[in-house]
Amino acid sequence: MTATNWVTRVVSALLALALLFCSLLAVVELAAAALGRDSVLVPYHEWTDWLRTHSWNDRIVQALLVGLVVLALLLLLLAFRRGKPAALTLRNRTDGVDVTASRRSVEKSLAAAAARTSGIAGASASVSRRTARVEARTVALSEPGIRDEVQSAVRGRLDSLGTERRLRTRVALTTKDSR
Amino acid sequence: MSSRANVINRVVLTVLGLLLLTVGGLGLALGLGAFGESRADNPVLPEQVRTFPDGRPWFWWAVAGGLVLIAVLALLWLLAQLRTDRTTQLDLTTDARDGYTTLHANALTSAVEDEALGVSGVSSASANVREHRGNHVFLRVELTDSADIDGVRTRLENEVVAHLREGVGDPRFPVTIELRPGASKTPQRSLT
Repeated sequence: MTATNWVTRVVSALLALALLFCSLLAVVELAAAALGRDSVLVPYHEWTDWLRTHSWNDRIVQALLVGLVVLALLLLLLAFRRGKPAALTLRNRTDGVDVTASRRSVEKSLAAAAARTSGIAGASASVSRRTARVEARTVALSEPGIRDEVQSAVRGRLDSLGTERRLRTRVALTTKDSR
Repeated sequence: MSSRANVINRVVLTVLGLLLLTVGGLGLALGLGAFGESRADNPVLPEQVRTFPDGRPWFWWAVAGGLVLIAVLALLWLLAQLRTDRTTQLDLTTDARDGYTTLHANALTSAVEDEALGVSGVSSASANVREHRGNHVFLRVELTDSADIDGVRTRLENEVVAHLREGVGDPRFPVTIELRPGASKTPQRSLT
């Protein structure tokens, strides 16, 4: 599961809990009021008075409404944000068999492929839905054409996987001394 | 974790988000005078709204009913977070009149894992049966850094999946394979 899905799941669980608690509390308050008892937990008489004495153009009301709009936008962002994929779909070969490659392991694999290139001291990689980015650290006096070699190694690794969508590759080189 | 829960979460969050956006947006528009300056000066809770339930005993019953409905939906939403797609049994019954046939998922997944581990380049394998739009087997294999990905995939599809399908008696039984290339280093061999 992706990090986005985890965040969405935690927020959803908290919201569901809050909704459950608040609605049950409101039922309890209704029951208490019906039985002629005072409020149990919620000082709703004070809340009602506050709402009666404040108008729509009061700053505090508008500030609360802005907060509501911000919260709404955050929820919509969570609902629509796709984030990085947990796995990359590979080309289908056998009917009824879906093959994927976990994104994190592909990143490790690409970094390893780049690091094996001569003149490269280390590398890291990140993969999104469309692009594989590799950042490779060269030794101080690197040979010309090293970028092409890294690019070729990364491309070769991706081709051996056979991703359904051809990923663009981006290679950035930094010298070891510059870090 | 259930992938259905992800869909439910997105739908509920969208509904809640749109609802809050509508309420917040309309309230702000009202306060900024979009519906007339006099309305902007109105209290948030006008007298006629506050006194509406007076003499209407059904009103609070309706509110209580609505609240119970929200509580039930919230509980279902909460439970959806805990549900998983995994299943422990596979129903292989072809004709209920002849009796029921079930297969323990563990028996199937252990066999699949063992066979996958025998494929050169596979360092570990784990499988489970999931129930999402019908049953399917999910097989996760970790490959050594030097594994021939294409070769591993061919053997998994042609041998492991073929035997699995033979085992369940369904030549089209759906399988999902997740490859994890480079997840572990190639075992070092040393000469002594």
